[in-house]
Amino acid sequence: MRRARGSTTVETILFVPLLLLLLMGTFELGRLTYTYYSLYKMLYTLARYAGAAQGANFCDPEDATLQAAKNFVLTGSEDGSGEPLLAGLTPDRVEIRIERYNADSGELEPCACAVPGCDTANGGLAPDYLVVSVPEGYAVQLRIPYLALSPIPLKPQVRLPYGGT
Amino acid sequence: MLVLLVPVLFGLMGFAVDLGRLYLIRGELKTAANAMALAAAAQLIGSEAALENAGNAALLTLDQGSGFGNRYNFGMLQLGQSTGLLSSELPQPAYFSTLEAAASADETAVTEASGTEARYARVNVSAEAPLLFWSLLSLGAERKTLVRAQAVAGVSAPLCTACAIEPIAVAALDPEDTTHFGFTLNTKYTFAYSCTGTPSPTGLSGAAQVLPYVLLDHYNAEAETLADEQTQLYRIGAQGLLPSTNSALACISINAERQIWTNAAPRACSQVVVSQVTSFLCGLATRFSAETPEACAGVPEIESVAPAYSPDTDLTDLEEYAAYAGNARRVITLAVVDSIANTSSMIVLGFRQFLVEPNPNDVTISPSDRYGRFVALYIGYPVPVRQGRFDGCQVAAGPGKVVLHQ
Repeated sequence: MRRARGSTTVETILFVPLLLLLLMGTFELGRLTYTYYSLYKMLYTLARYAGAAQGANFCDPEDATLQAAKNFVLTGSEDGSGEPLLAGLTPDRVEIRIERYNADSGELEPCACAVPGCDTANGGLAPDYLVVSVPEGYAVQLRIPYLALSPIPLKPQVRLPYGGT
Repeated sequence: MLVLLVPVLFGLMGFAVDLGRLYLIRGELKTAANAMALAAAAQLIGSEAALENAGNAALLTLDQGSGFGNRYNFGMLQLGQSTGLLSSELPQPAYFSTLEAAASADETAVTEASGTEARYARVNVSAEAPLLFWSLLSLGAERKTLVRAQAVAGVSAPLCTACAIEPIAVAALDPEDTTHFGFTLNTKYTFAYSCTGTPSPTGLSGAAQVLPYVLLDHYNAEAETLADEQTQLYRIGAQGLLPSTNSALACISINAERQIWTNAAPRACSQVVVSQVTSFLCGLATRFSAETPEACAGVPEIESVAPAYSPDTDLTDLEEYAAYAGNARRVITLAVVDSIANTSSMIVLGFRQFLVEPNPNDVTISPSDRYGRFVALYIGYPVPVRQGRFDGCQVAAGPGKVVLHQ
């Protein structure tokens, strides 16, 4: 009886750290998935928002419509006054890549900010597709006891057809 | 005791890790489906060639040529590729003429629409997702599970405000006819700029009926670049109303009162049309040919803006719109108004679409025509407008824009 109780104790002592590790790992993996999905949804929302914009100029880094779109998805307010939904994710880290279909190669190519190209202020035409991404990635640090992990950069990206003017 | 708890523990961890990942993958597949459906629906222009164009446009959202296509499972897996344990099908859009059919739960019962009738695109995406903790239990012994997502995109309700359309106004032949305003489908009309007196313009060959038109005022006095009036008209002729955050410049609304383009007031028919109309027609001619006609050489800065425009991919003179195989460059969406007699107050009744045809025995239109004439085939309203809004007007029919329905 005493021996059985002793082995249970040993078992518990051996298992508890492992259990904690698993639980913490699970928790952190869940957090990673959650952060990734939040970021992904933000980029999708931005692509939809910018993809239906009226009079947006993708070649102007300070275009008011696009700034408002980025602020809206990152902070929930168009003027950027709200709290960032993901800490440290600023509008300048989010990139909107503009693409145009090349009928000769059959592929999408980056649309140049020129004429002929996508510089709408100087006579260019709107792009065909948008890709929204965080080029450097959004780093997430997993905190699991006994393990020293380097931050994981999350790099989701969303491509949508451009349907604005 | 703990050993007994292990399966339970794995089951619970599966809820945290695997279920989370399944939701993420479903979200990614849904986004991929949305992108494909939106891209496909924008190509549904009511011609027989539309379905092929739509399929190609949809697949471009997955194009990995530059490494930016939509993917799933933390952006690691491509749709349509098998990677080790996991496989996924390359989704193909299905096309329907009504939203009920497109959104129908029974996928086998409804028949798909042809290119001329298709208005809605449905994309079903399915892919296998990996399991981690649940794969250690008997229920997840296959170590993967199938995740599906569906999206339906297509044309919206008729728009009340349409942007990036052509600011041409023609009078309704029959204002009581809310579907076609008295125009006959697949009939060619000769558009001639409104003028007074005689000799009144005659129809070009093959299009006996003359439709007088005027240009609606969308002059942007505050433009910083390409500010010249003629250049603005050239660009508007080439691409429709120019993009602007100011809706008064970029859009036209139903029931709104519009004025004629100030410097393009109708002249006596004995005189040649004003140069503003010629510049507009020069822009319209870019839809046929990349070469600048002689009559257009005087448009300021034309050499810098002309390279932006490419001709339509189908330039044939068509009798039936269904046979059109181009990219909708030649389709113009114009405003149908109550009357163009009173040019200071024209009430917009709706928007309708025409396919600009090359002049008889020619491959393009003639911008130098003294009456500002060109031939266009009435096609109804099959082509989605790029941008627009629903401002509460009551219209039974008209062009819509592409929206996600599901």
